[in-house]
Amino acid sequence: MQQDSQPVNQPNPFEKVVEFVDERVGLKTIQAKMLNEPIPGGSRWAYAFGSVLLFIFILQVVTGILLMFYYVPSTDHAYDSTQYIIHEVDYGWFLLSYHFWGSSAMVVMVFAHMSQVFLWGAYKKPRELIWLVGLALFGIVMGFGFTGYLLPWDQRAYWATVVGVEIMDKTPIVGDFMARFLKGGPTPGQMTLSRFFVIHVMVLPAALAGLAGLHIFLFRKAGPAGPFRGTPEEIKAKTDYFFPRQIWKDIVAMASVFLIICSLAFIEPVVLLEQATPDPGDYHPEPEWYFLFLFQLLRLKMFGGEFGQFLGAIAIPGAFMAFLAALPFIDTNPERNLFKRPAALIGWTVIMIFILIFTVSAIINREFLH
Amino acid sequence: MQPKITAKALCGDQEVGKISKVIVDPLSHEISHVVVKESGAQGLDRQIPIGQIQQVVSEEEIVLRCSPDEFVQFPPIDRDRYVTIHEVEIAHLEDHLHVEPGEVLVPLPCLEQGVPRRTFFNNMTHAIGTLIALPLAYPVLKYLMKPMFKPFDNAWFSVGNIKKIKQENVGFQFKFTRGFKEAFMPEQQIEKNIWIVKATPEVQKAVYGGKDTKFFDNKGELLHVNKANSPYIGFSGKCPHLGCGYKWRKTKSNPDGVFLCPCHLSLYDEAGKVIDGPAPRGLDVLPMQVDAVGEVKIIDIEYKAGVKSQIRLL
Repeated sequence: MQQDSQPVNQPNPFEKVVEFVDERVGLKTIQAKMLNEPIPGGSRWAYAFGSVLLFIFILQVVTGILLMFYYVPSTDHAYDSTQYIIHEVDYGWFLLSYHFWGSSAMVVMVFAHMSQVFLWGAYKKPRELIWLVGLALFGIVMGFGFTGYLLPWDQRAYWATVVGVEIMDKTPIVGDFMARFLKGGPTPGQMTLSRFFVIHVMVLPAALAGLAGLHIFLFRKAGPAGPFRGTPEEIKAKTDYFFPRQIWKDIVAMASVFLIICSLAFIEPVVLLEQATPDPGDYHPEPEWYFLFLFQLLRLKMFGGEFGQFLGAIAIPGAFMAFLAALPFIDTNPERNLFKRPAALIGWTVIMIFILIFTVSAIINREFLH
Repeated sequence: MQPKITAKALCGDQEVGKISKVIVDPLSHEISHVVVKESGAQGLDRQIPIGQIQQVVSEEEIVLRCSPDEFVQFPPIDRDRYVTIHEVEIAHLEDHLHVEPGEVLVPLPCLEQGVPRRTFFNNMTHAIGTLIALPLAYPVLKYLMKPMFKPFDNAWFSVGNIKKIKQENVGFQFKFTRGFKEAFMPEQQIEKNIWIVKATPEVQKAVYGGKDTKFFDNKGELLHVNKANSPYIGFSGKCPHLGCGYKWRKTKSNPDGVFLCPCHLSLYDEAGKVIDGPAPRGLDVLPMQVDAVGEVKIIDIEYKAGVKSQIRLL
């Protein structure tokens, strides 16, 4: 009977706390703004790549921090501390392997994300800046792969860095300075490891977090592009909010990617080669798989010699990135329908085939060398 | 002219209510409906399509096309089917809305009125910021550049005995360890390798072109001379293409053996000349001494890979 005299909607202590915080922070408005974002034409699986990238990055940060509990970035301890993580620390092999495969997943997702935006014509006005910031993020992800690869300080790590830095050295005018700056000397050693470490764990994460924030801010500012086909009425009829349907698709995609990375970590855990030394022994140096096509390209005679090398290693990749950056400003036709943009479709297909052929031939060459 | 929210809505001459809300199309960003709150205490919020507005008499008054009887036929708004623009993120929606009851103003503080120093303060802020950053730029750059350039190490290293070589014009690998002292680190022993060929006179000629090869230090002083007729030739273990380690291999087209770099598949003959592949120059010949008992010593020189000319790195 006592209860009956109480008003029904009296807030409980938890609700009071929420109310207190909300009054000062405006959480409910922020939450509403975050979730109530209309997606023209409705949610799609194809829109999950960006969210998945954010998810992978967060787990890379978490696993990366955990690895630093044991890892020592010095030439006399990097290899041993990594071996210690793999062989002695409970679940160390798993966290390291997750971090390793997570980086591959990140590259794959960046690729998928960029392809989707390109094929959907979503880089066009008014989304030029989102595209540009996205390209910078692509560069940062590649930088993560390159710098992280050295840290275990085994032969694979050492030689990928030797060749990678030599390639950078071929940049006109600033190349020598850049290469020495990265190496911290004429040859790879402690200074290189220190520099790669600080770039990998401080500089790039800060840059990525900042630019990813800007990327999402600009994306929210411009609004999602939506499908490239359909009348305004059709698109309006199918429109829904970010929550719940898109978030559902995103979380399912994240869970799938998480399971794939975990499976790879179990099936193919990281195994180190011999400790790094300037004598490669029987090891055949090779970069990480997503750089294999460039590696194979540089085997071609036409990209040999001083000029050919500059062409293959610097000029062509540089020109391609410059072209991607200029794309939204060159391609000002507002048409977004992929099937009315034959050059885009053909161009994308040709590049994919090129990358595929060169990657596969690098793998075939590997067999031939053994 | 835009009617204000709270403007009176009339059907003919009769006031039926006041505008209480407007509804915007999220796609076109245009107003699609006005919501008119019926006069009277129990008045419902009725949703009137924008086309029903016949005339905007003033900011305070609009006239609808319908009669008062037709007005009450318009459906009351189902509030749950709408969200306010503060709870949703539609890009640039606010830019298109001019339905506020006029501009919302706050008074400028007295001290800020008629003061022409904003630009000055703006520029000063940037100037002081620059003055903080400038003196830091050079020290930071020097700080980071500290280990980049090192003097060359012209010490001689023993790499093994020449008696190991049994065949002529075949590459033999000599591994050696050398001390490597870097900054604060304790001296480390690192493994390196060079390749030595016992050359026939033809190969000697191919390497040296019949002339002695002189090696100088960075001050221009002579370090060593490799004689044109010396039978043993030592090659730096670093591939001149992109710095990998090459091997001596027999291949189908070169059954006698060639130097093959597994990285980018450059091929060099026993004189170190490029046979195939992307290398820009031949293998780098090292300054080398062989003493009476066959002990080999070299100066551990590395040149920059990927360029035509030899640029010494260490």
